Amino acid sequence: MSAARIPVADRASVTQAAEPPLAPTAGMSRYIRLGAAVLALLAVVVGPLFVQSTLIQHFLVLIGINVILVLSLDLVVGMLGLSALGHAGFMGIGAYTSALLVMNQGFSFLGGLVAGTALATFFGVLIGYPSLRLGGHFFVVVTFIVGIVFNLLFTNLVEITKGPMGLPGIPAPEIAGHVFHDKLSYYYLVLAFILLVLFVKWRIHGSRMGRALTAIREEEDLARAVGIRSHRYKVAAFALSTAGAGLAGALYAHYLRFIGPASFDFLHSFDLFVMNLLGGKGTLLGPIIGPVLLTTIDQASQLFRPEPARIVFGVCLILIIIYMPQGIIGLVRALIGRRRP
Amino acid sequence: MLTQVLLNGLFASSLYCLVALGLTLILGVMDIADFAQGATYMLGAFVAFLAVTQLGLDFHWALLLAILAAVVLGVANNQLIYQPVMRRSANTLIAALGVLLIVQNVALMIFGSEFQTYSAPFGREVVEIGSGVIPLYKVSVIAISMAAVPLVWVFLSKTATGKAIRAMSQNKEGAAIVGIGSREVSLVTFALGSALVGLAGALASPVYAFDAFFGADAIVKAFTIVIVGGMGSIAGVLVGVAIIGFGENLVSGYISTEYSTLVTFVLLIAVLFLRPQGIFGKRHA
Repeated sequence: MSAARIPVADRASVTQAAEPPLAPTAGMSRYIRLGAAVLALLAVVVGPLFVQSTLIQHFLVLIGINVILVLSLDLVVGMLGLSALGHAGFMGIGAYTSALLVMNQGFSFLGGLVAGTALATFFGVLIGYPSLRLGGHFFVVVTFIVGIVFNLLFTNLVEITKGPMGLPGIPAPEIAGHVFHDKLSYYYLVLAFILLVLFVKWRIHGSRMGRALTAIREEEDLARAVGIRSHRYKVAAFALSTAGAGLAGALYAHYLRFIGPASFDFLHSFDLFVMNLLGGKGTLLGPIIGPVLLTTIDQASQLFRPEPARIVFGVCLILIIIYMPQGIIGLVRALIGRRRP
Repeated sequence: MLTQVLLNGLFASSLYCLVALGLTLILGVMDIADFAQGATYMLGAFVAFLAVTQLGLDFHWALLLAILAAVVLGVANNQLIYQPVMRRSANTLIAALGVLLIVQNVALMIFGSEFQTYSAPFGREVVEIGSGVIPLYKVSVIAISMAAVPLVWVFLSKTATGKAIRAMSQNKEGAAIVGIGSREVSLVTFALGSALVGLAGALASPVYAFDAFFGADAIVKAFTIVIVGGMGSIAGVLVGVAIIGFGENLVSGYISTEYSTLVTFVLLIAVLFLRPQGIFGKRHA
């Protein structure tokens, strides 16, 4: 897919169209946004250098991996307007593929990562191609089933995956002689991949594909009538999304150095989906805010009992879709929009 | 060997069938992919378990209590959560996930994470059929399921309420125009659907060890059946049950249990490629 060159002004109007009408846009706000983006980038690059606690560094890495997952998931939830409940399964595909290839076949870290991503993408196409053709609840139910089936395979194919006992002793990644042993350097590795995913999403957003996806989401019949091959674009978006999940899985495997089926169960798929909705679907910042907030809460609640936290989680979920369907980003936009006429 | 495999398949299928029937009713009429029925299944299992072990009731009273509890949960869900969500045209699927999380974790807090077991009625009595052996309890489960399916079918095709349910699943606006009240129909549908799922959970509980996440597996199988058979079709459910239930047991009997879940997956993908709307489904959208 070649990203069509379009003038900057044009790109801005596309961005507006893709976002809810609440988005406040003024001429000046572009510079404010640019400034904020530079500041935020500085904060995430320089900030962790001052973090001494390895526990917090550990949280930062986990948050980063979840950010990659939710950014990828948002290609389906935000850009296609569909629900997908199997991303933890695709993450597992990436994790197991990369870990097994590096451990048993002598692959390098990057080789395993690419292979894991590729296999997740392959399954994304295999599942997306037939299921995206159907309307209604088909797609979400299929993704849910597929996520669970992947997990059952991780559990049951004991000869390959060592089953519920899990796979220990995954080596730390090594790139050009540098071994990512400590948490801080791993954080920067994850950060680099987050920026890569963000860059890809940003390019898609301004491309022919991004506009096609917006058209398909808003009015699929009309989009097809003007000659957009909607099915192809949908499969492509879903495949990209599963690729991101596979990538995150590989990063996860080589970070924890141990993986088991429990890390990729359907509850994790739910969590990712909730993070996406809470942050705000279909935006650039929402899929970052959601995981940052919920991973923090989740990790904090593990210090106590997880069950009450999950009950609160469920209640929040219901309240969010009733009262805050656009997530935190939508809420913030509504508040800002109200102040300005 | 074949007889034994078929008997096992029949037992598994009869449980899947009840759940799939409940799901397809709710899906067809309400247009809700009700993942929260996983919680109903688990509730049915726990209520039957508690009724037998704590209250010392007979198993058939335990079944009745389980069904009652399932109906209360399903109807409460519909009235308190799905209806308000649908009025705001928000996503019911997410609400269902929320309910599932809440109920599962409440159960986890009350009962802990260990697996529960208790002995099935009829003890160790078995029935020999040809070269196969099957516990009497499993035979009665098969019988109950075989009785329930025609009963549901008669209810849907002969009674006025049943006809209203079918009318609504075929054409919501048309049903509304001829004066079918969607609230009453949704109430009955949820009661019936949840009752079937709760019954299945209760029937499964003496056979398998269960915990708070008991329903997940059954719901996955049942949704697969619904998709393979075609959404919202009872005939589809029966065919889907036959394919998935027996397919799985044939593979685990003759090849390996490890690969039986692969069957579900491969069949699902194959059907989606060859006949995306399901075997008995009608294409919509």
